[in-house]
Amino acid sequence: MKAFARRMIGIDRRIIFLLIAAATLLPLLKPFGLPIKVSPEVKAVYDYIEKLPERSVFLISFDFDPSSKPELEPQAVALLRHAFRKNLRVIGMTHWLTGTGLADGVFSNAAAEYGKVRGKDFVFLGWSPGAGALIISMGQDLYTAFPSDYSKTPTLGMPVLEGVRNLRDVNYMVSLAAGSSGIEMWYVFGKDKYRFEMAGGATGVIAPGLYPFLRSGQINGLIGGLQGAAEYETLIGQKGTAVAGMDAQSATHMVIIVLVILCNVFYFALRGEKGRPA
Amino acid sequence: MPEYLLPSGTLLGAWVAAGLTLFIYSFLYKDNPLFKLGEHLYVGISVGYTVVLTWHTVFLRLLWEPLAKSVGEAPASPGSYLLLIPAVLGLLMLARFIPKIAWLSRIAFAFVVGFGSGVAIPRVVSSYILKQIEDTVNPLLIRGDGGLSLGLDLAAPQSGINTVILLIGVVSVLFYFFFSVEHTGAGMVTARIGIYFLMIAFGAAFGYTVMSRMSLLIGRFRDLITFSGSAYGYATPILLGVTIVSLALWEMAVRRRAGP
Repeated sequence: MKAFARRMIGIDRRIIFLLIAAATLLPLLKPFGLPIKVSPEVKAVYDYIEKLPERSVFLISFDFDPSSKPELEPQAVALLRHAFRKNLRVIGMTHWLTGTGLADGVFSNAAAEYGKVRGKDFVFLGWSPGAGALIISMGQDLYTAFPSDYSKTPTLGMPVLEGVRNLRDVNYMVSLAAGSSGIEMWYVFGKDKYRFEMAGGATGVIAPGLYPFLRSGQINGLIGGLQGAAEYETLIGQKGTAVAGMDAQSATHMVIIVLVILCNVFYFALRGEKGRPA
Repeated sequence: MPEYLLPSGTLLGAWVAAGLTLFIYSFLYKDNPLFKLGEHLYVGISVGYTVVLTWHTVFLRLLWEPLAKSVGEAPASPGSYLLLIPAVLGLLMLARFIPKIAWLSRIAFAFVVGFGSGVAIPRVVSSYILKQIEDTVNPLLIRGDGGLSLGLDLAAPQSGINTVILLIGVVSVLFYFFFSVEHTGAGMVTARIGIYFLMIAFGAAFGYTVMSRMSLLIGRFRDLITFSGSAYGYATPILLGVTIVSLALWEMAVRRRAGP
């Protein structure tokens, strides 16, 4: 046992890389369709949007850039599909300059699916500097913060913004965030001051840090990582890239769990050997 | 032969994305020139992209165009020149690069720090401290349909049992970081409980991080699978072959150079 454990502890790490690659690739090529359980925090976002009356104002902030695309783009697509299906007026923007093109692409594609018209059913405001100060400015006057949208059309008089003066007129807001200048900032400078309901969509890395905000009711829902996106896709009944990736996610997690357990078994088997901790 | 090919722009993008993904992943074999090429391109393009976007969005769109418009429409009005104030403050930041006038940058920094602190402190205190303290001292008894009850549902965030766990966690972790009292006896037990709470939190954070990284891997693999089709000119298999052959040739050259 000890000789085997010694060989395994010193295994070439590239074999582990190959195992992970196989566990990712095989389910992507041949999915086995594991069930997806919807968590209450994702359901809360879905339920809130579901209850909004038609033509309500839904603000979505794409606070990420292409490096977080695999996790947050599926969330954005699922949320936009839900919002357009509910015939909400959707306002999009971003706090991340390098995510502007990506966000506009996601927005345009989702809108085209439902035949929505830019300026009438949705508007993408683009990026503006200031982060927290920009949110405060939007809370005072949206048209001062964004005199024109991403395609340089003046925002004042746009049908989609009819009756919208500032953030107080937003019915629901979701920030899809990959780091700072995201959900917490929207809460601190936006919701806390201008009293609109909001939720968050986050990468897996920052999601655990947002649970205290969820518990305290500072955000009413949280979509975490690719798993959260898959849950949302399940809720809207339109399975997309997130659901397709869930089998691979489960398979890689299983491989990692088995490797961690094996590593601990080998570690304890070799404990007390010369040069190893007792 | 493929039935159709995508437009040349899309095709080029797919080949570049597939190639660079494979070059970067080649690091998992070992550090090599293909990885270096991908790494340097990534750094250069990221910086270039940010600079171009900043120039176009901040300077041209938010400063130059509105300034030129307002001055053109009303050159005599002082209000037309308002945007020059942030422009000058921004330029003062660059004074740091010239030692003789570096002190000028302090004016701009003072403005940023003063404004930032003034705006952020009250909001941060309200959102991060007061709201979180309020949630830590929730009532134990919950009024439901059947009257007052001590919620024992672990899955319900606001249940009484979760309130107790949260309170124990907050107090014990705070005590763990309280170094003015020696951690002995009951103090040691409290601090030890704090460590367990911290370890659970770190474990949860690490688990989520693993999930996140795997999601990124899935994203890249999904793109590689997409680009392996005939519509993309079989970009992935061809570039995978090129990568493997290049690595083999490079490995042979390195061994030959190293000698017997």
